Amino acid sequence: MAAHLSYGRVNLNVLREAVRRELREFLDKCAGSKAIVWDEYLTGPFGLIAQYSLLKEHEVEKMFTLKGNRLPAADVKNIIFFVRPRLELMDIIAENVLSEDRRGPTRDFHILFVPRRSLLCEQRLKDLGVLGSFIHREEYSLDLIPFDGDLLSMESEGAFKECYLEGDQTSLYHAAKGLMTLQALYGTIPQIFGKGECARQVANMMIRMKREFTGSQNSIFPVFDNLLLLDRNVDLLTPLATQLTYEGLIDEIYGIQNSYVKLPPEKFAPKKQGDGGKDLPTEAKKLQLNSAEELYAEIRDKNFNAVGSVLSKKAKIISAAFEERHNAKTVGEIKQFVSQLPHMQAARGSLANHTSIAELIKDVTTSEDFFDKLTVEQEFMSGIDTDKVNNYIEDCIAQKHSLIKVLRLVCLQSVCNSGLKQKVLDYYKREILQTYGYEHILTLHNLEKAGLLKPQTGGRNNYPTIRKTLRLWMDDVNEQGFCSLIISQNPTDISYVYSGYAPLSVRLAQLLSRPGWRSIEEVLRILPGPHFEERQPLPTGLQKKRQPGENRVTLIFFLGGVTFAEIAALRFLSQLEDGGTEYVIATTKLMNGTSWIEALMEKPF
Amino acid sequence: MDCYTANWNPLGDSAFYRKYELYSMDWDLKEELRDCLVAAAPYGGPIVLQNRVLDARIFHTEFGSGVAILTGAHRFTLSANVGDLKLRRMPEVPGLQSAPSCWTVLCQDRVAHILLAVGPDLYLLDHAACSAVTPPGLAPGVSSFLQMAVSFTYRHLALFTDTGYIWMGTASLKEKLCEFNCNIRAPPKQMVWCSRPRSKERAVVVAWERRLMVVGDAPESIQFVLDEDSYLVPELDGVRIFSRSTHEFLHEVPAASEEIFKIASMAPGALLLEAQKEYEKESQKADEYLREIQELGQLTQAVQQCIEAAGHEHQPDMQKSLLRAASFGKCFLDRFPPDSFVHMCQDLRVLNAVRDYHIGIPLTYSQYKQLTIQVLLDRLVLRRLYPLAIQICEYLRLPEVQGVSRILAHWACYKVQQKDVSDEDVARAINQKLGDTPGVSYSDIAARAYGCGRTELAIKLLEYEPRSGEQVPLLLKMKRSKLALSKAIESGDTDLVFTVLLHLKNELNRGDFFMTLRNQPMALSLYRQFCKHQELETLKDLYNQDDNHQELGSFHIRASYAAEERIEGRVAALQTAADAFYKAKNEFAAKATEDQMRLLRLQRRLEDELGGQFLDLSLHDTVTTLILGGHNKRAEQLARDFRIPDKRLWWLKLTALADLEDWEELEKFSKSKKSPIGYLPFVEICMKQHNKYEAKKYASRVGPEQKVKALLLVGDVAQAADVAIEHRNEAELSLVLSHCTGATDGATADKIQRARAQAQKK
Repeated sequence: MAAHLSYGRVNLNVLREAVRRELREFLDKCAGSKAIVWDEYLTGPFGLIAQYSLLKEHEVEKMFTLKGNRLPAADVKNIIFFVRPRLELMDIIAENVLSEDRRGPTRDFHILFVPRRSLLCEQRLKDLGVLGSFIHREEYSLDLIPFDGDLLSMESEGAFKECYLEGDQTSLYHAAKGLMTLQALYGTIPQIFGKGECARQVANMMIRMKREFTGSQNSIFPVFDNLLLLDRNVDLLTPLATQLTYEGLIDEIYGIQNSYVKLPPEKFAPKKQGDGGKDLPTEAKKLQLNSAEELYAEIRDKNFNAVGSVLSKKAKIISAAFEERHNAKTVGEIKQFVSQLPHMQAARGSLANHTSIAELIKDVTTSEDFFDKLTVEQEFMSGIDTDKVNNYIEDCIAQKHSLIKVLRLVCLQSVCNSGLKQKVLDYYKREILQTYGYEHILTLHNLEKAGLLKPQTGGRNNYPTIRKTLRLWMDDVNEQGFCSLIISQNPTDISYVYSGYAPLSVRLAQLLSRPGWRSIEEVLRILPGPHFEERQPLPTGLQKKRQPGENRVTLIFFLGGVTFAEIAALRFLSQLEDGGTEYVIATTKLMNGTSWIEALMEKPF
Repeated sequence: MDCYTANWNPLGDSAFYRKYELYSMDWDLKEELRDCLVAAAPYGGPIVLQNRVLDARIFHTEFGSGVAILTGAHRFTLSANVGDLKLRRMPEVPGLQSAPSCWTVLCQDRVAHILLAVGPDLYLLDHAACSAVTPPGLAPGVSSFLQMAVSFTYRHLALFTDTGYIWMGTASLKEKLCEFNCNIRAPPKQMVWCSRPRSKERAVVVAWERRLMVVGDAPESIQFVLDEDSYLVPELDGVRIFSRSTHEFLHEVPAASEEIFKIASMAPGALLLEAQKEYEKESQKADEYLREIQELGQLTQAVQQCIEAAGHEHQPDMQKSLLRAASFGKCFLDRFPPDSFVHMCQDLRVLNAVRDYHIGIPLTYSQYKQLTIQVLLDRLVLRRLYPLAIQICEYLRLPEVQGVSRILAHWACYKVQQKDVSDEDVARAINQKLGDTPGVSYSDIAARAYGCGRTELAIKLLEYEPRSGEQVPLLLKMKRSKLALSKAIESGDTDLVFTVLLHLKNELNRGDFFMTLRNQPMALSLYRQFCKHQELETLKDLYNQDDNHQELGSFHIRASYAAEERIEGRVAALQTAADAFYKAKNEFAAKATEDQMRLLRLQRRLEDELGGQFLDLSLHDTVTTLILGGHNKRAEQLARDFRIPDKRLWWLKLTALADLEDWEELEKFSKSKKSPIGYLPFVEICMKQHNKYEAKKYASRVGPEQKVKALLLVGDVAQAADVAIEHRNEAELSLVLSHCTGATDGATADKIQRARAQAQKK
């Protein structure tokens, strides 16, 4: 069912099974038929844990979306609310409960808080006079959701904004709890590294929680050798740049939600003769993207430039395989051919899908505007002309290109220049306000608070130092926007994921593993927040003796979000023959520059 | 060895009974036992002497200990559980004028009944009724019952009649087991059952003033002389007998002990014990005995017997020699699982420790196993024998949470009640002992201290509690909300922080509450978040208090959209925002907000004068709308007023005019002055509107750098090629080449190739 979760170095299916068990146990507590009322936000993440069939096995007969007024009629014994602990949701639940028809059959109410039970919410329910109506009020600690064999996410949209803008550490607390759950399943992580204010706090909470849990000695052999906690605001640059891996581009252009993507249907129309293209599908094509699909696993992390050749090679292999049938002469041969058919057909379907997707993406990436945008991004990242108003950005504003695109570029320039000169900054801001509306003053203010947009202080631009020390820009990779074909097909450095720019965050991870952060103390001091190391002592029996040649496993946790390109870069490092470290990636949210900026925008009307 | 069985008394053909001293009594007893009502808990439990209580019986069921009372009015009252004293009055016994001659409580099917004897009659009393019963096979001639006894397990009953006759049968009164005539008519002082699980020969022990008789299904009884007043306590596997000076145990000799110690026993265990003794004497007989056992293939059994028998011995010396024998035997076995031996050694060590008269819990091995180590530890804790309990836990390596921690926590709860010790000292003493022992709940101990009225001590103890979830509620209960707040913040659990905040909000006046927040930035930001969604007005007050003018400005910007409908209201809100921005020294935001006010007023006027929708359009869109509406003058004016940069204005006009497809106006505009954005955008936008004719007009005006691009856009490949060749620009050449389509542009392509070749030659 979720076999792809167990392919990696760490079997994340163990986590999935653990959370599924917890869910079943809760459902069984509410004996009899049930209806679930969903906080809409939760349905996506839940889909990765449990399909409807699991719920059905436990007598869930109906599902509703949480909304005001009376609950829809359902002849069930139990009504269970699956909600995040938010006050506004409590008000809706109370409305539901209070408008319940007293004359009808009585139904039992329950609440399942995800991921944590909240005293504040219970107080609100009490104030509204409905707390007593609930028989079970429990929490379902679904903090980290397994997305793939090496990928976990909390899918907490607001995490970055809450942490860096609003001083609300709730998601950090959940992250720490999630890490405790992981340690309960995979053993204590002996070493914790971190960079950034939030990283420091999460580490502190973990150490504190460990103290709270003493007594229930964890006697599991540690699977992870170390944990690296990274604040997103240590590397504000990377997500702003356009990702150039296959998966990254799909996300940039169409947006991947809980591992699903919705695509325009035209390219996926079944090519049947005589159809005449009469009834083209109108509904978006929905595809699940994860490593369970062999072909996708192979191409997702490649630079998009290298995808085409893989696809055509695959096409040849597959048609050759189908041709085999002509060579099959004996009954045995035919039988063998037939037995391979389902696999071959799946491969052919998968190839067709990805060829279509690649075509869709190519339409975008070959456009002049995409090329211009990329050129500007790369100029900024390589440190060219970051200190004056950029013509392309100016033109984008004048032509009213999407505001998010403009903001991404302006922020990128600001970050690559350690802040903009006051005059330049004010010019951009004024242009944006005049063109897109004065209400965006709130959004601009948010971006400034998050440090994405700022005036240069002290007149010093630190970015070149950082770029050079961390080798963020690899000139030889770059050729005409995309990497040269040879390098994109056989990359030697993580910079292939942005065709020249090596993501700062991943570089930090790489340097931590070898030769260690001591070599970059100076840069670490420039980057925001403290860097630190903590050790969690292990009982002697559990200390690991690594076999020669055995890789270390590092859990890297991005607080505030991570992009697919960064993930690709980490996977690249994991696969390096002499890399020495394999990565499992965790984050508060899988994101890209667009969804990131969008979450920071404020629309007052 | 022979003398070892000296205290064994046969009862019938198969069983022996023995009585041995547990320890001598060291109590300072003033009264005689006979003057007291005595109650003693089983499993070596404590003994209670009372001298002013009416007749009562205590009984034990699986739900706990019950008590039955005979009142002065000869009525019975019963409570099934002393912990939960629900008294139930039993029905009246017809014709009961005086106290019954004897009575007892029977437990059948989880229900307590009372069996009482009045003259020659027996009555069974339950909650509903009173019925007469007759034991089967009772000898005739009984005119009164003097004693009755129910066995430890409530399965058996014994009756002693005035004829000196003892009837023994099942407690259900349906079956007789045996009878005995002791020919003593004097009423016995006490009668109890003495049996054990898998007893071979159940017996009843009858006590008179100076005589003790063990009676079973055998013609002969065992008799002992009692030197002083004694009291019998029935146990699971025997009877305890205590008096002023001594405490003894009487029981049926357990099977394993009997096998080994019976005179001339050839049981494997007996031989093994013998072999080991010979071995110690360095005698070769050891080998003979061992061989004998091995030949019969009974060595395993022999070892097991010795281990088991050791468990039933009271004297450590004897335990040791049996265990030594077992250990000796084990050496000759390939695979003997070590558990039973190890556990027995451990159990005996624990038992010997608690049997010491200083502790005074004379448990037998069977009782200990029935009672479980947990209950034994509880008893030690109740007697405040903390050090011994801890030693036992450590010795048995019990998990800390069930063992040492739990005991330390009990000790600490006791410690906090010592009022004569200062808070400092108690807290320190507790922390010294408990440290970070896992599983200790400091908050439980603190709650106990608070319960004793020692709030300060409770707070000190809470300092040691690592779980903030536990600290905070108690601190709130003790009205230490501010401390609770800092603890909640330390934990990082925002929900906990919120809970304390709402508590504080109700507890403090607004000013104090705000002051408290001010000192706790994390709490302050959380509370702000709360207010943003729940109490907007409070949010404003918070910003005001902090002189956070920047946020106040943003607040009023939001308010101008959310709260105000009328334009005047909106402008006023924006004015407040602008003022706040000035105070925040954010000149840019202030000016922008003023611009916004100006634009709003203007848009209002436009709506009034021109009709249509202008409000809330951006400045850019307002100008565009004006152009689209043909109000070019006004558009120009607006652009000037707001100083729209030239470049953007050109883009704007270009886009709007092309949208209108007003080609004439566009051309006029293009000629109004030199375009700051060049002429390529003109070409592009015309092509977007599919007007190649207009596009071509502008293509010729495009500067040299973009000329090729422009020509290609309008489809003039040949001219594009010429320009590119003229420029000698490789990139441009390949761009043109990529636009060459096979048939039509063949010549052009050739031309380019030639130019390229030439360039390379040079």
